[in-house]
Amino acid sequence: MKRLFDPATAVPALVSMAGGTLFAVLFLHAETQSAVMGLTLGAVIALFLLARFGWNARATASFAGHGRVAQGSVLAGVLIVTAVFHDQHFPLLMLATVLLYIVVCLGLNLQLGYAGVVNFAGAAFFGIGCYTAAVLTNHTSLPHLAVVFVGGLMAAGIGSLLILPVLRTYGHYAALITIAFGILFRVFLEVNDALGGPQGMKLPGMQILGWKLNDSLQFGGTEISFYANYVLLALAMAAIAFTLVRRLERSWIGLNLDAVRLDETACAAFGIDVARWKITAFTLGNFLAGLAGSVYAMMTGFVAPNSFTFGDSLILVSIVILGGIGNPWGLSVAAAIVLMLPEKLQFIQEYRLLLYAGLVILILLFKPGGLMPRQVRNYLPGWKP
Amino acid sequence: MSTLLACDSLSMRFGGLVALDQLSLAVNEGEILGLIGPNGSGKTTFFNVITGIYQANEGRVDYLGHDLARMSAQEIYRAGVTRTFQRSRLCLPLSIFDNLMIGNHRRLDHNLWFNLFRRAAFQAQFEEQYAKARELVRTFSASLAERLFEAAGSVNMIDRRRIEICRALISQPTLLLLDEPSAGMTQEETRELMDDILIVREHMPGLAIIIIEHEMNVIERITERCIVLNYGQKICEGPYARVAADPQVQEAYLGTE
Amino acid sequence: MTLGLLSQYVFNGLMLGMIYAMVAVGFTLFFGVLDVIKFSHGDVLMVGAFTGLATYLGLQAAGADSPLAQLLVMTLVATLSMALLGALIAKYLVLPLRLAPPLNTLLITLMLGSVLREVVRLFYPQGSNPKPYPRLLPADFVSFGSFTLRADSMILLLAGLAAIVAVHLLITRTKLGLAIRAVAQDAETARIMGINFEFIVLLTFAIGSGMAALGGLMNGLYYNEVNFGMGLLLGVIGFSAAVIGGLGNIYGAILGGFLFSALQSVGAVTLPALFPGTSTAYKDVFAFAVVIVFMAWRPTGLIAEKKSERV
Repeated sequence: MKRLFDPATAVPALVSMAGGTLFAVLFLHAETQSAVMGLTLGAVIALFLLARFGWNARATASFAGHGRVAQGSVLAGVLIVTAVFHDQHFPLLMLATVLLYIVVCLGLNLQLGYAGVVNFAGAAFFGIGCYTAAVLTNHTSLPHLAVVFVGGLMAAGIGSLLILPVLRTYGHYAALITIAFGILFRVFLEVNDALGGPQGMKLPGMQILGWKLNDSLQFGGTEISFYANYVLLALAMAAIAFTLVRRLERSWIGLNLDAVRLDETACAAFGIDVARWKITAFTLGNFLAGLAGSVYAMMTGFVAPNSFTFGDSLILVSIVILGGIGNPWGLSVAAAIVLMLPEKLQFIQEYRLLLYAGLVILILLFKPGGLMPRQVRNYLPGWKP
Repeated sequence: MSTLLACDSLSMRFGGLVALDQLSLAVNEGEILGLIGPNGSGKTTFFNVITGIYQANEGRVDYLGHDLARMSAQEIYRAGVTRTFQRSRLCLPLSIFDNLMIGNHRRLDHNLWFNLFRRAAFQAQFEEQYAKARELVRTFSASLAERLFEAAGSVNMIDRRRIEICRALISQPTLLLLDEPSAGMTQEETRELMDDILIVREHMPGLAIIIIEHEMNVIERITERCIVLNYGQKICEGPYARVAADPQVQEAYLGTE
Repeated sequence: MTLGLLSQYVFNGLMLGMIYAMVAVGFTLFFGVLDVIKFSHGDVLMVGAFTGLATYLGLQAAGADSPLAQLLVMTLVATLSMALLGALIAKYLVLPLRLAPPLNTLLITLMLGSVLREVVRLFYPQGSNPKPYPRLLPADFVSFGSFTLRADSMILLLAGLAAIVAVHLLITRTKLGLAIRAVAQDAETARIMGINFEFIVLLTFAIGSGMAALGGLMNGLYYNEVNFGMGLLLGVIGFSAAVIGGLGNIYGAILGGFLFSALQSVGAVTLPALFPGTSTAYKDVFAFAVVIVFMAWRPTGLIAEKKSERV
């Protein structure tokens, strides 16, 4: 089937992206609390009005029909924001963090949103990646790209120790196991002096094939913050993870995962190996978390046990639910909001967990599909029978 | 006609309750067999046992050289046995096409590399399966065949029943188990459904069907042979007319004076 | 290992086991009645403890200072208010999600637990610091050589035992208990038989939460301290205990509670002996690791969980 690029219908998507990018720039730039509050309120009102006038529906359809345009424009948007803040550490660090969290949440989404496998230790698996990177960079001379990969493997490997109870039919067993594991992990880190104890460990910056990511760049006459390097790396990781997870969803495997989540008895009756797909989702998801963790540790140069608490795992789960469980775009937007809002609106920092937990409760009661509910599976976008 | 499935002294107990009691029966290749009996006589339990949902306490089920009583549900499906359920088990948030493809599992390629990276080949397989699914659904309802990418939850109950039957047919099974397919339907809808099943069967020579029903018109019209269960045992067997006249059967349904 | 030290360990273990058992019984009751795991249960315990504390402070300010009276009022207020909280949770969060995928109920109660925790941390004065709990129980003890029997431990143990026995009698000997068991077995039939489903559910949640409050008070009185995070660990332990004993089974829950405590004691004693230098914090790691392994081996617990799906 030939896919015709119809420019007219791509316009709403492009316009929306432009608007979003502009908002991101303004938001990150805002210094005073009142400016930030104003922008936030303005955005909420604007979205509400746009929904009223049917724009949101048109933009969504436009995004759905032009996958490549959507992805390209998002990439462009991120690059634009990076360029605007090229000399400021903090916005770039935040941007890179958001992108890495998107990778983690994509993995969590595979587990929770597709296969229905509960995982309340997302932060712990992320932490496994972090600590693996810390240990390997400090005690071995393994190239950093390999370190990242090993971080992912460690997370997946340790996760597989939990797999048997996780496979049990009732979700609460998996919930219990993963919560217990998360607590266990943190206690283990705190009492273990070889891993730095409660103070944690330091890490050197990342180096890929001679490219030292902790060195700032010179472009023309301007100095670019070294975090831009990490933004680019994180962007590449997020883009690849996103594409892979979406392709997975748009395939027979995605179908198997959904079937496993929705009705295990029917699965068995039609030959679907429930255990295999739960294991696949759980392992892949943890692998992604470990990968992101390794890069994050090298970026921040530091790991400590109290970054990987149960509360952090809950925030990850909140991102997946708020965004629209099963929807990778939704979770990306949610990740950006959940991570950036408290950084800018200082007064809600303290109330983060309360706020997100409360929002999730409201969503589950009134709009369980999330803010951007998942659509019916579209195996081949643009394909017409 | 040769024997397709033969179960021998099949027993199934749930604690103190004996659901199947040394049951022995046979299904012939290509036949349409009615399985009837009062409520609680073990008909659905029989289906659940031979499809691997429950594990029998005793007995064997011979089928094309396998013993179904020792196999997992997935293995039994791959051996060509499919079913519908008494209570509708569609994945409502998924599209109709998705639900059909769940039934089509063994005809699809589930390899990770194939699904992620060989997209051209995937597209070819997708288009082929879509065409097959559409043609199958069209036998039952032309309008439904054009709505394959809508959510299964958005269609009415009769269409959902049709989808479930198509899901069981799409992998071209050798033995199809229908559990009260006409429940909740009018006479007209039931007749239409049964006719459609017969049409599909014409394209699948060798397909045997066991049908559990309480609607005796259906049994009378389309089955060649019936087996009557009561308290987990076979109490009568033969063409419908003979079975309906059997005093033991009448007593099982109606009781004694 | 002197007899005195041993007796300390034993009592400590029994005390903890009792508290875990009380939490576990709550979990098992909720699961039995609604097939629901109320993850916020541990945090309800914590709120109960804090409610008791607040009541005590209020009573002190009002001038009432008889320890017995304070104890009674604290118990009454904490238990009743948590019972009310439990019923509200059931009515507004759990029952509405009855038809949604079970995952949603799991998530909502988990999030609620977080909300309770954060509310106490943020809004109770100095909530993020551990708070001292009043010593309201008699401090006397009896010595048999080096074996000491503390009066407060005895009282708490007896109180806990009494609570569990009371719940057991309620469930097995009263008409109300019969209704609860009927709903747990088959909600639909129970309704047809005239049992008010919603009322029973609310009542069950109230009972379970009231017991949690009691457990919270006991915890506070025994350790003379409470903190906002105590509910999380206790909740996870209580849930583990309920699972070990087989979800839905009250005796199993009680058994599981004491088993978990025993595991912790074993870990606390043997690990430093086997690997000198290991801190006693490893006892939790040990106990949870055993739970995880156990669940891999016997996921439905020692006494099988009830199954209820009709295919």
